[in-house]
Amino acid sequence: MRVHVIGVGSRHGDDAAGLAVAAALAARPLPPGLAVRTCERPLPDLLDALEGADAVVIVDAARSGAAPGRVQRLARADLSRSRAASSHGLGVAQVLDLAAALGRAPARVEILAVEIAGAEGPEPSAPVRAALGAAADAALAIAREMLGSG
Amino acid sequence: MTERRRIEVSALARVEGEGALHLVVEGGQVVDLRLEIYEPPRFFEALTRGRRADELPDLMARICGICPVAYQMSAVHAIEAAWGVPVPPAVRALRRLYYAGEWIESHVLHMMFLAAPDLLGLDDAMGVARLHRAEVERALGLRKLGNRILILLGGRSVNPVGVRIGGFHRLPAPAELRALGDELRRARGEAEALLRWFVALPVPSRPQDVELVALRHPAEYPMNEGRLVSSGGLDVAGDAWESAFEEHQVQHSTALHARRREGGTPYLVGPLARVALNSERLSPAARAAYRGLAERFARPDPAASVFARGIEVLQAIDEALAVIDGYEPPPAAALEVAAVPRAAAGAATTEAPRGILHVALTTDADGLVERLRIVPPTSQNQAQIEADLRALAPNVLALPEDQARRTCEAAIRDYDPCISCATHFLTVSIERREPGPCAST
Repeated sequence: MRVHVIGVGSRHGDDAAGLAVAAALAARPLPPGLAVRTCERPLPDLLDALEGADAVVIVDAARSGAAPGRVQRLARADLSRSRAASSHGLGVAQVLDLAAALGRAPARVEILAVEIAGAEGPEPSAPVRAALGAAADAALAIAREMLGSG
Repeated sequence: MTERRRIEVSALARVEGEGALHLVVEGGQVVDLRLEIYEPPRFFEALTRGRRADELPDLMARICGICPVAYQMSAVHAIEAAWGVPVPPAVRALRRLYYAGEWIESHVLHMMFLAAPDLLGLDDAMGVARLHRAEVERALGLRKLGNRILILLGGRSVNPVGVRIGGFHRLPAPAELRALGDELRRARGEAEALLRWFVALPVPSRPQDVELVALRHPAEYPMNEGRLVSSGGLDVAGDAWESAFEEHQVQHSTALHARRREGGTPYLVGPLARVALNSERLSPAARAAYRGLAERFARPDPAASVFARGIEVLQAIDEALAVIDGYEPPPAAALEVAAVPRAAAGAATTEAPRGILHVALTTDADGLVERLRIVPPTSQNQAQIEADLRALAPNVLALPEDQARRTCEAAIRDYDPCISCATHFLTVSIERREPGPCAST
């Protein structure tokens, strides 16, 4: 059983939440079978980051109307597919669809969404920074659960 | 009384951007056609004013997520031309390798994510993947190779930062280049197979009379250098874009249109123009592919641009291999340019995946940017896209609305428009005005 925790984001303000969670996790001792990856562009990077994983936890920034910093666990079906797929950018849901169509989607996909306030400025905002530790704990707990059940 | 029929598409699928195609047809005649681009301008030309010119390679890489190399290359050449910075042959060669990586990635993505769904009548590449898994995997493998080249020389594939005036921040190690060479040799067969697959698809034909414009170099397939030439006999220096073309504003687009100074006519830039004007500079494998498709290139046909992209993927692989096989490391990664900045003007045109990209700038005595002008390929193609659709529209009116709309969208996608560079795309509306049965006047 191999599990990847994949931090998705860009280096713009709160949108870096997924990347920051991945960085925090990578600095910790991790159980065997768990690898941490990052992804700044879902089309090339996420597809590559899925390679070799039986199960993945995707950590990404979200705007659902909740308070900034709130961490929510979502199922793949919760992701909207409304964005049109172009060669310039596929969303997370579309890349997961593409992986499924190619027969290389992981058996299990969980999404951890960190609620953000905005994507301006070089650093994440205070509420998002304060949530990074809890989000890393949550991602690790889901990954351990996946490793245990595999 | 007039009957009006309208077709609405909430967004043109698979092309990045914000805009609309507005088409009005009355009595079977096209009375109005506008490619409305309402993407907000990002003011890149203005925000660079007063910044150090040596910051431009990093700033320009932010203009486009898919063709950052083109923006970096045109800018860095313009600065080097202004300041008289000599570029060592090995750096020049590595820039071709870097550009080849971008061509491979960009072209393959267009072929599989934009063209293939249109040619197969599917909604998107996910549909193609379900039916043609091996071909999509092949395209993704080639894309990954292109991306690897970008990372090797750019440091990263998103907003690459490896380019600097006079060279690169870091030179690739010979072992890295050798490993890349092995992959490229394997990829050539994959690129040939990908092109063969497209040749077997029902690619439509839409030949038209349009002037083709590209760079031409005495000995090489054009990328970073060459003279600006056209199928209409234009032949001027590569930095003399403004002598032959001009930009102008149209009310319905936030992206400037471009036209020939002489006659004010539209023109076509991009892989179709490059291949047609430089077929004798293609590598043996790419030239063989071109000859096999010669009748599709006999007249400019935007629908055949998918073949031109396939040929250029092969060309880019061979270019990359030639650079790697002949590589002799330069004495330094880049020339030290600290003492060079001066008040000067420079311009350069290079071949972005989508066509010629012109940059002109002036710097002051401290090396700060005074004026910067960027002319992206998609904005140059706008007038030709409109001319193409104007000719196409009467032929699609008899089709069911959904099909008519799809045909127009596919025609636009043939140009691989990167509207975030020029600006963005699209809602399509086709309005048919026909005299109704109770017409009273």
